[in-house]
This record gives sequence, C-alpha cells and structure tokens, in this order.
Amino acid sequence: MSNPASTINLADIDLTLSTLSPQEILRHALENHDNIAISFSGAEDVVLIDMAHKIRPDLQVFSLDTGRLHAETYHFIEKVRKHYDIKIDVVMPEGARVEALVKEKGLFSFYEDDHKECCGIRKIAPLRKQLLTVDAWITGQRRDQSPGTRAAVPVIQDDKAFARPDDQLTKYNPLANWTSQQVWDYIRTNNVPYNELHDRGFISIGCEPCTRPTGPGQHEREGRWWWEEATKKECGLHAVNIDK
Amino acid sequence: MKITMVKKLFADGSPCKKCAEVEQKMQQAGQLERIDQIVIADEADPASAGMLLATEHNVDRAPFFIVEQASGAVDIYTVYFKFVKEVLNAQTSEDEELQEIMNDNPDLDFI
Repeated sequence: MSNPASTINLADIDLTLSTLSPQEILRHALENHDNIAISFSGAEDVVLIDMAHKIRPDLQVFSLDTGRLHAETYHFIEKVRKHYDIKIDVVMPEGARVEALVKEKGLFSFYEDDHKECCGIRKIAPLRKQLLTVDAWITGQRRDQSPGTRAAVPVIQDDKAFARPDDQLTKYNPLANWTSQQVWDYIRTNNVPYNELHDRGFISIGCEPCTRPTGPGQHEREGRWWWEEATKKECGLHAVNIDK
Repeated sequence: MKITMVKKLFADGSPCKKCAEVEQKMQQAGQLERIDQIVIADEADPASAGMLLATEHNVDRAPFFIVEQASGAVDIYTVYFKFVKEVLNAQTSEDEELQEIMNDNPDLDFI
C-alpha cells in the first residue's frame, strides 16, 4: 500500500539527501530508524559497512547466500565479520524450492532460460523474507552500475515491493550518486578490506556461474548475465510526459 | 469503496504489456468485476485522465490502482499482488509475486 502523502514526503527528502555525502545519508538513515539493516553483497558495498560502523557500531548486516557464490566471496564475508567485529546474518534460500528447481531444470537452467527464475528462488525470496523483519534497509546500489536498470536509483525510496502489509519500508541507497572511482578511492584511502576477486578483473560480483571478469573499456554490467540481451523496461510512466 | 485501475498506452499507441497481462489475469479470476472504472494513461497525451491521476498521486508506473474509501481515505497500489491480497482478499502464488517484483524492479539485479 502506498500513502501519497508519505511518498511525496520521501521525494522531498530525496532532494535534500541527494546533496549530502554517503556518510551523511547513512547518519540520517541510522538516526531515523532503530530497526534498519545493511544488505551486503560481498563486493565493494563493504564501504557502507565501514562508513556505518563509524556511526553506529551495533550494525545489523545481512548477506544473501544464494549457494552459488565464489569461494572468495564467502571468505570475504567472514573477513568483514571479523574485521569489524559485527554479526552478519547470512540468509539462505529455501532448500525445498532450490531442490525442486534443480530437479526439474538442472544446475544451470539460467543459461537456457534466463536468470530470473533462479534469482527469484535463490535471492529475491530470501531477501523478501529478511526485509519483513526490518523497518528500513540500506543497499550499495549506484546509478553508474547499470545505465539500463539503475540510472534512476534515488537516495531514499518508499519500498512498496517488500513492505509488510499495511506498513512502510524505507530503502536507502547512500552510494546512489557515487561513481565506482569514488568507491575505490574510499576503499584505498581508508584501507577497507575488499574481495580479492576485484584484483582479478571482477568489477561486479554476484553468483559464480553468472559473473565474469571484464576487460578494459567494458562496463561492469557486461560481467553479469552476458548471454542475455538487455530487456526494455516497459512499465514506467515516462517522466517526460508527466508534468511534475 | 471505489476502485479505479489506471493502465497505460505507450506514446506510439501500443498497450503496456504488463497492463494487458494484469487485466487478463483479473479477467480470468473474475476480479475485473470489482473494478469500478478503468482509466487510460496515454503517454502521448499528458492531459489524458490516467496521466493526470499519475501526476496527482505521484505514481511513475503502470498499471496502478486507486482505492477510495467511503471515509475519503485514498490508497494507491502500484504492486498488483499487494492490491489483490490487501484489497480483493484473494490469493496469489509466491512465484507470481517474485516474478512481478523482479520485472518491476530491474535494479535488484545487483543486490
């Protein structure tokens, strides 16, 4: 359910927060929600943990373990847990649903169909279950990660897809306006631990079968689901036609 | 309670694929009977009734549903399965819900 008043209010807040640094956005998020969690993918979004830990050491962090991550990513999640002395809630898919998918379609169905069915079971379903337990969440989504799917990522949004019935879930994307270069400058400057796959040409890191290193000049999106063509987003009411 | 469904036409006059799919599902489930009016948001005509409603309610996707209570309270639903569950008190499958979430939120790719 969406309350128009609160949506408009969030749009106003987004305008304000968009002028702030990721650290200031995180501070706003952490000070305005007690039950808030960071979604950590095991990649360069570790900067969120570093920044947030300096504001509020008792962070809630969760990682989605699809069961298909690189061994290096599992080691990295563990390294982050120890480095910051935090609890990381490693969230897993429902075994029966994974078994049913594999039994019916094998272990690599995503190369023949598309990745959505597998992602739905291994990633989105557990994400949804996890988000039912919080009032707000924080992601490392950035606009520069995908011109096609993330060009309009706001700093704060009313997350209607994952909200509890008759309730509101706020989603923060503090890095929305940062570039990959800014993220890596932060990592280097602050000696933040990072996934060793980055040193081997991986820019974007997801599941092992669906992630590959990228070469010079390639966009990081080309390292994910490279066998699929980008699909056209169809359901937006295009802003050019809406006089806001 | 009054329910308005807003569906979209692209600027070239073609129908929005998701709007058509949702309408077909509702037809098959007998849910269209619960809709009081269907309004078109024509991307080629910013003054079309649906585009004006989208602007009024700050909605940027279609289809969406406007639920007006007798008390005057208005709720907007942009997620079909939530509308079905919370307003029509009908069931949807988890597979359908996940599919809708992924289709409507392509930015979730990198989560």
